[in-house]
Amino acid sequence: MNPPPDDAPAEPASAVELSGIWKRFPGVVANAGAHLKVRTGTVHAVLGENGAGKSTLMNVLSGVYRPDEGEVRIDGVVHHFRSPSDALAAGVGMVHQEFRLVPSFTVAENVVLGAAERIVRRQVVESAVADLAERFGLATEPDRPVWQLSMGERQRVEILKALWRDARILILDEPTAVLTPGEADELGRILRHMADDDRTVIFISHKLHEVTGFCDEATVLRGGATVAASLSVAETDSSQLAGLMVGSSPVITERRPPVVVGGPMLEVVELVCMDDRGLPALHGVDLTVGAGEIVGIAGVAGNGQRELAQAVAGLRPTTGGSVRIGGSDLTGAMPRQRFGAGLGYIPEDRMGVGLAPQLSVTDNAILRTYPTHRRGPFLDAEAATAHCRDLVDRFGVRTGPLDQPIAGLSGGNLQRLLVGRELSNEPRVVVAAQPTRGLDVQGVKAIQDLLVAEREAGVAILLISEDLDELLTLTDRLLVMHGGRVVAAFDPEVAGRHEIGEAMVGHVPTGAEPA
Amino acid sequence: MRRPVLARRDQVLRGGQPLAFGVGLAVALVVGLFLLMGSGHDPIRIYGRMFDASLGDPRAWSVTLNRAVPLGLAGLAVAVAGSMGLWNIGAEGQIMAGAIGAAWVARIGGDWPGPVLVTAMLAAAVVGGGLLALGPAIARARIGVNEIITTLMLNEVAIRLVQWLIHGRWKDPGSHNFPLAPMLPDNGRLPTLFERAHLGVVLAGIVIVLFGLAASRTAWGYELRVAGSSGATARYAGISLKRKILTVLVLSGAVAGFAGGVELAGNADRITEGISNGFGFAGIIVAALALMRPSGVAAVAVLFGAVQIGGQSIQTMGVSSSVSTILQALILFGAIAAGVLSRYRILMVAGNTVETPSSGVGS
Repeated sequence: MNPPPDDAPAEPASAVELSGIWKRFPGVVANAGAHLKVRTGTVHAVLGENGAGKSTLMNVLSGVYRPDEGEVRIDGVVHHFRSPSDALAAGVGMVHQEFRLVPSFTVAENVVLGAAERIVRRQVVESAVADLAERFGLATEPDRPVWQLSMGERQRVEILKALWRDARILILDEPTAVLTPGEADELGRILRHMADDDRTVIFISHKLHEVTGFCDEATVLRGGATVAASLSVAETDSSQLAGLMVGSSPVITERRPPVVVGGPMLEVVELVCMDDRGLPALHGVDLTVGAGEIVGIAGVAGNGQRELAQAVAGLRPTTGGSVRIGGSDLTGAMPRQRFGAGLGYIPEDRMGVGLAPQLSVTDNAILRTYPTHRRGPFLDAEAATAHCRDLVDRFGVRTGPLDQPIAGLSGGNLQRLLVGRELSNEPRVVVAAQPTRGLDVQGVKAIQDLLVAEREAGVAILLISEDLDELLTLTDRLLVMHGGRVVAAFDPEVAGRHEIGEAMVGHVPTGAEPA
Repeated sequence: MRRPVLARRDQVLRGGQPLAFGVGLAVALVVGLFLLMGSGHDPIRIYGRMFDASLGDPRAWSVTLNRAVPLGLAGLAVAVAGSMGLWNIGAEGQIMAGAIGAAWVARIGGDWPGPVLVTAMLAAAVVGGGLLALGPAIARARIGVNEIITTLMLNEVAIRLVQWLIHGRWKDPGSHNFPLAPMLPDNGRLPTLFERAHLGVVLAGIVIVLFGLAASRTAWGYELRVAGSSGATARYAGISLKRKILTVLVLSGAVAGFAGGVELAGNADRITEGISNGFGFAGIIVAALALMRPSGVAAVAVLFGAVQIGGQSIQTMGVSSSVSTILQALILFGAIAAGVLSRYRILMVAGNTVETPSSGVGS
């Protein structure tokens, strides 16, 4: 007889308790005894660099993987999940980084897909979804098809899906990676709303300001193990968290001294183009980037930045205006001609545009230059491998065998390969769209350093980013886009965040009109 | 109550496709065993006869190889398109179109020297198959019309075309009013290699090897791989998707047409409605089992050829020829199942634990 001791703590069971989680993959230990404890009704951050084991741990919690060792407790009860639906039945829902939505279905249809009665009435479902959305402060229109929605709206649909299935514990995997700053703040409010409703939110991120902004507690992973558990965010400062993540002092990027700006290298005049839906996206954009200059483009997502980058790169037909690179008119030229004229392009979508997922590291490395690695009709395999080896060495890409698919590389290494490839041909102009998005601290620094080095070598760089800190640190001039136009220009040395933010929503402060 | 569910393996099992194929074959033979026993036959004798007739001696091999030629070329045709993510379901019709082209040349060139005539026939077959694929290719490249539908529908057009020819203009006056085209001239036939095997075996082998090399070693093949992996990446790399789709689909049709020409000149007496004999559809299975790789097509085609020839041989023992068709289908099922099981494992789970909780509507 072992009666429980009288002085047993009366504290309620944690919503989630993971202990001693080990998960090994061939050649990789993804989780090495990681543990995590999340109190009910809190927003809990799980922090760590790419490869720290965050995603694996969350996949264990959500039933995607089964741990080799360790215990999963939900509300104090041990569970052995065999599938995500098991985890969902226990109340654990995951909002994935890539959305899993049917574009042609409406919001309501996506939300109830697979979790509705056999026959449903459209109005009933739509109003039920609207009620649910309202209860958690999620602005949405249940009858709109998903393909019309912005990334932020799509994410809200994913969250609604989990709530509809009665998830009490929500895991959000890098939820802000696809959001604009405004949308991210909105997400923070939604998460708080859910915590107040006694739901539990686990927030995976490596953006410290979001963690300090949205979260109650934080657990830091490094090398697959927990290095700090359930720190109170209010009592911890962000540089301390950053130190725990990287295991050294946090990276501080300083502004480089200005260099002499040379003649115009990229000239965009009155550029007009359509978006994917055939609606006007650019209404006459003018901008010039000089040699040795980084010009930044800030703006809320969906104001033409994406289309601008694609139009300059030759991947989107233009209906008016002109693009000149190094003085020669390349309006309407094919992508390969533009590359030949000295344009490097780092697209927003790494996988699927900049890189081909099923192809090998070498095949991806020669994507731009393969016409030069030829011997008659044959590809010169040796030259291709040598080119790839050179890129891998010069840009510090950590990779397995070069003839293996690139899908195995981490995000940071994929981007190093892509950026290296675009820089290796000594470009005169580089268009970089969201080059550091989703990368860990070291990856961000590596890419930023490369861009700054190019600038010092006299390359003209157009940097499109949703990270205002990055823009303020790296750029020599900062342009703001709104509604398909450049509406304001700032000197990043003196510009205030408030004025830039106002310009991003279309309120142009006096004195900031673009020249 | 316990029921099975599929759970993703952390790591794909080694040896993948050949293993899956072997398992598929084993499954097919075991199921076939019961099938044969159930219909009152001695399965061991039947299997023995199938083996003897298809792979037992040089003569059997020659027949099997002859059968593997159209299967392999049709499989290659499907695989060429498939490596770029396009589906050519029209190889059946393109084989007929190729045979029409070859038969037409044979009609006008009856007095040409053999090598010249045969070469011209095969060239016309290539053109015929390519022409039939040209429409779907243009429609897909220009305005994105689904090539599965268009190539499939053209099969019907091709077979009607053959019927129209052999009932009408091409009807042999000496056929006593039967709808038969005249026999091929002797100089329009492919030379024999050994036993029954004709030169087409070597030609098909060369074509498959050439495509294998082109796919893996050339810039053209590289562009194909990029386009097959991601259309957006291909455009980024400066590859013209429209031109690629056009050339690949026409080439696919041309290869199928070549199969029709070789089949006519090597294996048939004359062009008939049955000239493509389902090779075009079997080619889809061959290509799928070869994972759309030219290098795998030849081996799969020989095996399928053996199953088909073996299946025919047992008809004299009173076994329906459907047995061979069933075996082919079982191989495909078994191989697909084994392929799935190399990526997933079967778990037994209790009860209805994964039923989604109802919520929301009406509450």
